[in-house]
Amino acid sequence: MSQTLSVEKPRLAKPKISKSEYPALLARWLVGGLFIYMGLNKALDPVGFLKLVRQYEMVSNFLLLNSIAAALPWFEVFCGLLLVLGVAVRGAAVMLVLMLIPFTVVVFRRALAIGAAQGLPFCAVKFDCGCGSGEVFICRKLVENAVLILLSIWLVAGRGRLLAARFSILPDRR
Amino acid sequence: MRRTLLEALLVAVTGALLAFAANALSPRGLRLTRNFFPHDRAGANPGQTNAPAAPGTNVPPVQLVAERLRQAGLQVADSNRVARLFHDPAYQQSLVIFIDSRDDQHYRAGHVPGAYQLDYYRKENYLDKVLPACQAAQQILVYCYGGSCEDSELTATLLGDAGIPKERLSVYLGGFTEWTNNRMPIEIGDRNSGQIEKQN
Repeated sequence: MSQTLSVEKPRLAKPKISKSEYPALLARWLVGGLFIYMGLNKALDPVGFLKLVRQYEMVSNFLLLNSIAAALPWFEVFCGLLLVLGVAVRGAAVMLVLMLIPFTVVVFRRALAIGAAQGLPFCAVKFDCGCGSGEVFICRKLVENAVLILLSIWLVAGRGRLLAARFSILPDRR
Repeated sequence: MRRTLLEALLVAVTGALLAFAANALSPRGLRLTRNFFPHDRAGANPGQTNAPAAPGTNVPPVQLVAERLRQAGLQVADSNRVARLFHDPAYQQSLVIFIDSRDDQHYRAGHVPGAYQLDYYRKENYLDKVLPACQAAQQILVYCYGGSCEDSELTATLLGDAGIPKERLSVYLGGFTEWTNNRMPIEIGDRNSGQIEKQN
C-alpha cells in the first residue's frame, strides 16, 4: 500500500552555463584524448619507449629507468581518461602540467644537442622524443607542448565543469 | 589551491598504482627487475634507437660501433661475409646459424631463412631453444634492423655472457635492412616455415 504524498518538490533553478564552458569542455576532451592516444602508443610498445627514455641519459638506475618506461605511459592514459570523463579535473590537470614542463625542458635540451652534433638549425631537428607521436620537428613539438600546458593550466583554474562526471573527488567544503 | 594539490596527490598515487598494475597485467609489460643494459657506459648510447636509421636523427658512425664491438671481443660481419656464410654448406648443417634479435612482429614479417629468433627483451621465451643451437654452431651471426639498432650487440653480449665463445659470435651491422636491400631471400612466419620469398 503506497501513499501518495502531495508534497511539491521545490523547483531548482537551472544552473547557468557560462559561454566559456564550451571551449573548456573541448579543451578537456582535446588534452585528455591526446594523452590517451600518446600514452597508449607508448604503453603498447614499452620496449621502444624504454630505449627512447634511455637515450636521454638522465637515469642511471635500471629499476628507475624500467619503472618510468613501464608506468609513465599508463599513467598518462589514466590522467587522460580522468579529463575526458571529467573526474578530478583539476588534480589531473595539475599532474599533466607537472609532467609536461619537465618533458618539454628535456626534449628542448636533447634537440639542442642533436642540432649541435649534426650542425642543423634548431627547427630542422627532427627526432622521436618518446612523446608517443613518432618523429617530429622540434619546433612543432615545443608549440604543441606549450599549448597543452596552457590548456592544462586553464583547467587547473577550475574550467571544464560541463559534462563532468565528478569535477572534484574531494567532498565539498561546508 | 590546497584542495587542488591534495586532489593531484590522490590522482598521482592512484594513477601510479594502476599504471604498475597495468604493466604487470599487460602481455607486453616490462620486467621491472631486469637490467636490460648491464654493460651501459656513460655516453655509450647517444641517439641509438630500435628503428632503422633515419635521416636527420643522431646516428653514430658505423665505425665507432664496430670498434666498440671489437673491444668487447665480438666479431663484425659485413654483407659479403654474411652472404658467403649463408651459401656455405656449413649453413645447411647448422654449423653456421643466424640469430634474429628483433621482436615477434618483425620476425614473422620476414627474417633470414632458418634464423632463430631471440628477442633480447623477452629472452626467457627463447633461450631454451637458442642456446643448444648456439653451442653446436661454429659461427653465429646476430642481426637486428641494422642502422642504429643495437639489439644485435646486446644479444651477442648476452650469448657471450651465457657461455658461448665470443670468437664464434659475429654482429651483422647492416642487419635485416641491408639483407633485404641486397635482395637476399627471406622467410615469412615461423622458422623453417618453408615460405621463402626470393626478391628480384
